[in-house]
Amino acid sequence: MKLLTCPLNGKRNISEFTYGGEYHAMPDHRTSSARDWAEHVFFHDNAAGVVTEWWCHTASSFWFLAERNTITDDVIRTFKADEIYQQRVEFTAPETEV
Amino acid sequence: MATLDPTSVKRRSPLKQRHITNHALFKEFGGNLLVGHYGNNESIQEEHSQAQILAICDLSTLPRLGFKGPGAPSWLETQKLKIPTLPNTAECQHAGSLVAKLSDQEVLILSDIFALSNDVATLSDKAEIDHHNYDKQTYILPRGDSHCWLAVTGTKASEMFSKICGVDLRTHKFARGEIAQTSIAKTNAVVIRNDLGGTPGFYILSDISGVEFLWDCLLDAMHEYGGYPIGFSALQRLIKSS
Amino acid sequence: MNNRLPAPYGSLINRDIGVQFEFENKTVNGFEGDTIASALLANQQWLLSRSFKYHRPRGALTMAGQDANTMVQLPSNPNALADKQIIKEGMQVSGQNYTGSLENDRGALLGLFSRFLPVGFYYKAFFKPRGMWEKWAPLIRKKAGLGIIDQQLKSPYYDKQYKFYDVVVIGGGPAGMQAAIDAAVDNCEVLLVDENPSLGGSLNYARFDATGTRGKLLRMELVSAVQANNNITVMTNAVCNGWFADNWLPIICENRLYKVRATQTILCTGALEQPALFHNNDLPGVVMSSAAQRLVHLYGVKPGSAAVILTGNNDGYGTALDLLDAGVTIQAIVDLRSNPDYDEVAKAAIARGIRVKTGYAVYAAHRKKVVHITSVEVRDIISQGICGGDREIINCDLLCMSVGYPPAYQLACQAGGQLSYDDQSAMFTLNNCPETLQLAGSVNSLWHIDAVLAEARRTAAIATNALGFTQIAVGEVVPKGTISPNHPWPIFAHPKGKEFVDYDEDLTIADIVNATGDGYEHIQLVKRYSTCGMGPSQGRHSALAAARIVAAATHRTVADTGVTTARPPFSAEQLGHSAGRSFYPARRSSMHYRHLEAGAEMLQAGAWFRPAYYAQDNFTRQDCINAEVTNVRNNVGLVDVSTLGGLEVRGPDAGEFLNRLYTFGFVKQPVGRARYALLTNEAGVVIDDGVACRFGDNHYYVTATTGGVDRVYQNMLKWNAQWRLNVDIANVTSAYCGINIAGPNARLVLEKVCADIDLSPAGFPYMGVRSGTVAGIPTRLIRVGFVGELGYEIHAPQQYGEALWDALMEAGNNYTIKPFGIEAQRILRLEKGHIIIGQDTDAMSNPIEVRMSWAVSKKKPFFVGGRTLRELEKKPSLRSLVGFVVNNIESPIPQESHLILDGEYMTGRVTSCNYSPTLDKAIGLAYVSPTSAANGSAIVIRSSGGVLVDATVVDLPFYDSTTARQEL
Repeated sequence: MKLLTCPLNGKRNISEFTYGGEYHAMPDHRTSSARDWAEHVFFHDNAAGVVTEWWCHTASSFWFLAERNTITDDVIRTFKADEIYQQRVEFTAPETEV
Repeated sequence: MATLDPTSVKRRSPLKQRHITNHALFKEFGGNLLVGHYGNNESIQEEHSQAQILAICDLSTLPRLGFKGPGAPSWLETQKLKIPTLPNTAECQHAGSLVAKLSDQEVLILSDIFALSNDVATLSDKAEIDHHNYDKQTYILPRGDSHCWLAVTGTKASEMFSKICGVDLRTHKFARGEIAQTSIAKTNAVVIRNDLGGTPGFYILSDISGVEFLWDCLLDAMHEYGGYPIGFSALQRLIKSS
Repeated sequence: MNNRLPAPYGSLINRDIGVQFEFENKTVNGFEGDTIASALLANQQWLLSRSFKYHRPRGALTMAGQDANTMVQLPSNPNALADKQIIKEGMQVSGQNYTGSLENDRGALLGLFSRFLPVGFYYKAFFKPRGMWEKWAPLIRKKAGLGIIDQQLKSPYYDKQYKFYDVVVIGGGPAGMQAAIDAAVDNCEVLLVDENPSLGGSLNYARFDATGTRGKLLRMELVSAVQANNNITVMTNAVCNGWFADNWLPIICENRLYKVRATQTILCTGALEQPALFHNNDLPGVVMSSAAQRLVHLYGVKPGSAAVILTGNNDGYGTALDLLDAGVTIQAIVDLRSNPDYDEVAKAAIARGIRVKTGYAVYAAHRKKVVHITSVEVRDIISQGICGGDREIINCDLLCMSVGYPPAYQLACQAGGQLSYDDQSAMFTLNNCPETLQLAGSVNSLWHIDAVLAEARRTAAIATNALGFTQIAVGEVVPKGTISPNHPWPIFAHPKGKEFVDYDEDLTIADIVNATGDGYEHIQLVKRYSTCGMGPSQGRHSALAAARIVAAATHRTVADTGVTTARPPFSAEQLGHSAGRSFYPARRSSMHYRHLEAGAEMLQAGAWFRPAYYAQDNFTRQDCINAEVTNVRNNVGLVDVSTLGGLEVRGPDAGEFLNRLYTFGFVKQPVGRARYALLTNEAGVVIDDGVACRFGDNHYYVTATTGGVDRVYQNMLKWNAQWRLNVDIANVTSAYCGINIAGPNARLVLEKVCADIDLSPAGFPYMGVRSGTVAGIPTRLIRVGFVGELGYEIHAPQQYGEALWDALMEAGNNYTIKPFGIEAQRILRLEKGHIIIGQDTDAMSNPIEVRMSWAVSKKKPFFVGGRTLRELEKKPSLRSLVGFVVNNIESPIPQESHLILDGEYMTGRVTSCNYSPTLDKAIGLAYVSPTSAANGSAIVIRSSGGVLVDATVVDLPFYDSTTARQEL
């Protein structure tokens, strides 16, 4: 069984974690095209190489991010989400129907 | 020895039925009803000896409370509590209660083993008054209701845990005051190393609705080493006699 | 016991304690420590079982538990390995896979038809005509499989245990012991694992010098050093059955599976001796050279009286010496090499006057009247795999094969190691193992004992350096020796075949060649087509030979051909080991025992136990459920809703947070009110629902479905890890028990136990929320209408659940209060047309289809499913969730997933359907085509057995369309 290092709880068996999908930024919900929005919702990059993924330590419900090489299955590093998300996100309403 | 009717109080342990089946004699400790000892054990003395080898005790009716939010650790410090610096560590308080820091923003307070300290009740009242509007971002968590509280004691405890828990809890690897938030018998749990007197001790806090299952798993795992449930009196004696 | 050797032969047996057991209903005497096979061989019983396909007689081959020849039947354990299983007093053992008797198996006639059972036979024979397989399958299944399962068996106690070590050394031979000793520096916790009963590996039986003393002395020295070291834990009789990521090692010992985490692993798994291929190479009495040595040294069994040694290396000469010393006549050493490079041991054997034939091969083994070998036919080798006409028959009752040892590469390859092979030297190398895994000894193709020990010490230093315990100069890689024990081609085809490549599957050289002829040239395809290597011994003795044969047949090198992947488990394991204690967490509400006392039939919904209904004497299940429904409609009922999810959302941004997550608007929701909360994901699919109760400006208590709450909670945390709103989210599901008290009398009951809340319709209206006490217990009350009557959900701290239940039951005594289960609740809510997420929705359902657009706010800047829903609104709906009534009450009641048909086309499906005792009709919910969604549309449901049921679409709800009853 693989080990994964949780930034809060340390190195644990990967069975203690829940996979949360690939990380990618949400496109602007007002201005993005239907195509771009569908790409965001339904398609996964599934890239061969280093990808960033969401992981949750199930017992403590702690979400964090991991950089993993999908070819070698090596986890390069794990880090807290606030490294990427530093500020409160605001949304404004779509001005007109897209 | 006289026993109290376990239904004489409204707040009852989720393990009440298991205790009754095991011939428990219930007793009041600091206003909380717990198993004093079990009728099928010879004596409290026998339970006390067993506690040093391997035993389990249900503390679910004792007071405990959680605080969460960015302001939680600093507010608790203003209430004269020693808050551990690092997450996943616990610190014993002057009054005997135990403060467990689960993350940078989450703290758990457990009653002392003699149920004498008023820490939990006082904090609960104060928090209601000070933080009703949550402006300081300190939020009460009802850990006393959401989580059961079990104590596993004895020199064989670590080895027993290794059958149902994937974290290395051997005493030379999992120091006093260390906390593991992990899975025991596929049940999410907070495990706190808290020795009682000179006896290795581990507190388990896990979802209260699953505690009968967890209890049965623990007894199954303990069987190999002769471990069994003991009452609260024997547990207290671990500290008194040390 | 006429062929036991005197002590010190027999290091594993205790001659002081005799053990009696039965084999094929005959009493057999052995000693404590004997395996079934060694005890039988001591009594000259060679025949152990019959082979899988042709029922050929088979006996011991490796004496190390590596082959399938020795699989025998124990009463509760089929396929026990006779050369591994220690005998116990009174044990009952029988052979396997025969019809009639083991000695005289009628199934052996199958061997006569072997030319009609070519490789790929099943694929070719039973493929046509269509439907043929169904006829053949029962017959074939009866023939297939090994052993008999005891279906009455009560499973023994199996469990698992985690272990943690700094260094785990796998294999307790000279390399493993030396590596463990060197790795066990201060603070370094070392585990040494060996699958045999005692440490030592080849030192226990092999000959390392002319006198045969070095191995014994070295073993004593190493074993005492291991035993004296407190940092080394030794596990014998323990097999490491695989290598998994990050040095995760499953080690099986007795009834326990150890899940061992090693920081560093050192593999000293050794090498596996291979058979030579010649006609009848499977006869009982044909054994690995090392098997003969094991019999002599470990069990004190003289394996024969006249032996022939077939060798391709010097080790065969060591075996000859051992047998000679044990009193066996050596008829000849047949050496495949024409110009052997003799070592000290070989020279000593020659000096003892043993007859040696170099450049010769055993071409065939023969038997006369018995099932045991009686002679061998030896011929000269004229080119690779081809024999000439120089022929000699040598009588013997034992043939030992010593033609080479490929590394036990299985674990190394699972770790990512790549096996390569040099066609000239017949030597293997393993490369690309992870940094945390080292190889030492013969698995690393080191054969000389000094080289083995030196490499063991070096790898131990690498491991302890990596752990930070030492800083030792590790030195150069120890060079591999120049003499290879592996003969490149111990394979001699025979016109009559029966040169077995794979003993488990009865595959011969021709079978493998034919597989390539059928177009399967890739080694992996050959394996799947021919089943070579798929038997219980997992190709340990067939992978190399198969690779060689395929290489020759396809004109490639063995290196290019490669060997098949060796996946875990390394050796057969019992299902009990995988199962262990099977932890399936169960959740119970604090009222669980009250349900049982009231006669509840419990069912498990996810992990939760919930009362399905309360059984009453002399009433059917359906009658009980209907009575519960009627009592709620007419009087008052209570149902345990503790399993309902509960989430505290608190903080200045609490309303904003819910606005972003759920479809409705919550910012302007008044304090003291509840609001329906529908959750969609980014794809606009409905994934959960509940109510959001506003207890304060900054405090919402949100309910979620029983099965969905954990996922909803995780989702909330993930979203807020991104949004960083000033809000706290806590899952308090288990902190609160809950009771829904519902029915026209609900208020009357509650008034008796709740004094501090104004319960009047104006004081506490429908969809209101209040805090207060019930029977002195602190509670949260929500006026909701899931079942469609005046009702209150009472949420209280979990440990008060039983007391709360008792108080309400007592207060309701005069109002005909009765508990109801979730079956009744399902009918009640169906009558009200309320959907259940997950039952009436699927992975595609959006709010438009389930006609919940009313619960979707159009005024908010953003919510998770919002953008996708805006797109979906532009397109016509593909289906609609509607209510329907079955036209004829006599029709069968449709069930979930029954199809809605439009002629022969499927246009939808039923999601819920039940008999409604209130309406005396069968009612349900179904997805139908939007063209059939209007009130009064006729639909046809294909019910069980193809019965077509006519139904009519009706507006929801079925019951109390003015909602007067729930707003009472």
